[in-house]
Amino acid sequence: MRKGTQHPLFTVITFAKINTRRFFRDKTALFFSVGFPVIFLLVFGSLNSGNSDASFKVAIINSSNSVFAKQFVGNLDKASVLNINKDITTLDDAKDKMSRSELDAAVVLPSDFGAVQKGNTYPSGKAEVVYTQNNQQSATALGSILDSQFKSINAQFVKNVTPFSVTTKQINENSLSAFDYSFAGLLGFSIIGMGIFGPVNVFPELKKMGILRRLSTTPLKVWQYFLSTMVGQATIGIISLGVMFLVAFWVFHLKVVGNWFELIPFLLGSIIMILGIGLALGGWAKNERQVAPLANIVVFPMMFLSGTFFPRFLMPEWLQNVSYFLPLTPVIDGIRLIASEGKHYVDILPQLGLMGIWLVVIYVIAFRVFRWE
Amino acid sequence: MTIVKVRDLKKRYGDKQAVDGVSFSVNKGEIFGILGPNGAGKTTTLEMMETLRPIDGGTVEISNIDVARHPQDIKFLIGVQPQSPAFQDKTKLTEVIDLFAAAYGEKVDAMQFLSDVGLEDKAKSYVEDLSGGQKQRLSITTALVHGPKVFFLDEPTTGLDPQARRHLWDLIRVVRDRGISVIMTTHYMDEAEVLCDRIAIMDEGKIVAIDKPKNLVRQLLKRCFKKEQHVEQANLEDVFIDLTGKGLRDA
Repeated sequence: MRKGTQHPLFTVITFAKINTRRFFRDKTALFFSVGFPVIFLLVFGSLNSGNSDASFKVAIINSSNSVFAKQFVGNLDKASVLNINKDITTLDDAKDKMSRSELDAAVVLPSDFGAVQKGNTYPSGKAEVVYTQNNQQSATALGSILDSQFKSINAQFVKNVTPFSVTTKQINENSLSAFDYSFAGLLGFSIIGMGIFGPVNVFPELKKMGILRRLSTTPLKVWQYFLSTMVGQATIGIISLGVMFLVAFWVFHLKVVGNWFELIPFLLGSIIMILGIGLALGGWAKNERQVAPLANIVVFPMMFLSGTFFPRFLMPEWLQNVSYFLPLTPVIDGIRLIASEGKHYVDILPQLGLMGIWLVVIYVIAFRVFRWE
Repeated sequence: MTIVKVRDLKKRYGDKQAVDGVSFSVNKGEIFGILGPNGAGKTTTLEMMETLRPIDGGTVEISNIDVARHPQDIKFLIGVQPQSPAFQDKTKLTEVIDLFAAAYGEKVDAMQFLSDVGLEDKAKSYVEDLSGGQKQRLSITTALVHGPKVFFLDEPTTGLDPQARRHLWDLIRVVRDRGISVIMTTHYMDEAEVLCDRIAIMDEGKIVAIDKPKNLVRQLLKRCFKKEQHVEQANLEDVFIDLTGKGLRDA
């Protein structure tokens, strides 16, 4: 029997090559696979990096004209933990803003603050921290910040001995910002978008046009077609994730402490595993109407429960236990453990094992349910 | 020399016997037409021969290989032109040829196959920029990249203008003259008459007549058939071709 003169993988490579070239000619596809995740990254990244340093939004209502009060306000302004809203000058204004949570607390300096009282040689005064019920923690923290400020000021005027004291020291080695943690989730979101919604949109369209049916009259095998799609998607995926990494480095000062030679193969494996879900759904569906609800049923739990946007440790325990086994969870956990925590493959064997099991299950299903038309 | 043998072929969809015991054979290097009204079973018959649809009963053999038992081997022997050829957009014509050749595990000279159907000037264009007739021609040449022995066409000229139709007929004749057997369905009697060496007329899943077009006409006349006589020296299509020329209009 006459067979092709070329190696079976020649077919795979030709398909992958031409389909990848086609992808780069398609500006819409390019936008949705590379541009869209970056926009998403910028939006979510800026939301996250905002609260990475714990600062208090406070207003200072200064009713005193004393020189000391002016200096004191100037010192508070320099404190990095305080974010002073200078537009607020009256207590009513401050109360209004606090009721809308736009302000954590207000520091009120009475008119005699910083004045030298009769019989004293040094200035004195009492500052008041005003806060609402919802902001007790901020107020307590703010109170102790002011307290320590006053202590050092007091020490300048009144000499006294302090037998016990405490100092704080910041260690800043490889500490992770909130963004570093949420980046893994954003990568997971992007992998889901490309791997699942790609084939789910494309395959039914190819079936409708009869393109897959035409291919089925050739000796092309399903595994060749799948493998070529995998190679193409992995190429596009790595480019897309690469762009996300670059933007994260430049804009959000992402820190990757892990080994790139472990991270990149892990990302490739993740892309291929998740792509299998798209191949199964798109390969099975006869048309878009059939596949859209199913794709949403599969994607939404992963989008919300695998730790893309909300950390899993915030969920109730039973939900954590269930969501642990979703295909995307080991992907996001694995990326985080390798990239942000510098773990190695031997440390993330549970994640790798779970991904391996899913990989087999997903592709067995994908091959079983594939239809050319 | 017989290359395709169809014996008692059957296909059932629910209550409907779509193909009901069809038998015929096709010789090497002939154009065999299957005619019939819509729903007669033409396309189903073709699809069973092309391995696209499971066969309920009967057999199809191509080059003595059973289609139902060895579909993968059959695929190397046949070329298929679907009813409405479609290609993925943003693909260059040369890439389309390369893709189909690769599907057969072959590496070919894409330009050669494009110039076979007069598309060498369009080699670097995208498929979405082709006219209907050009798409048909591209589809024909992609179906021949692996040198098949049998070439199936399903209503190839539907929706084409007269010039493109005539050009396609010429191409199909060239394919036949290369020794490839052509099996095609059509709705157009004029097409069957000028193009097909033999035709089978199907109705309700059965073949009701099978012969050379001329013989079928002769048999009808022998039964004292009289067509209303008015001798026309030309018809509207002749006028159209005379006014607009025979050249292709798909630049």
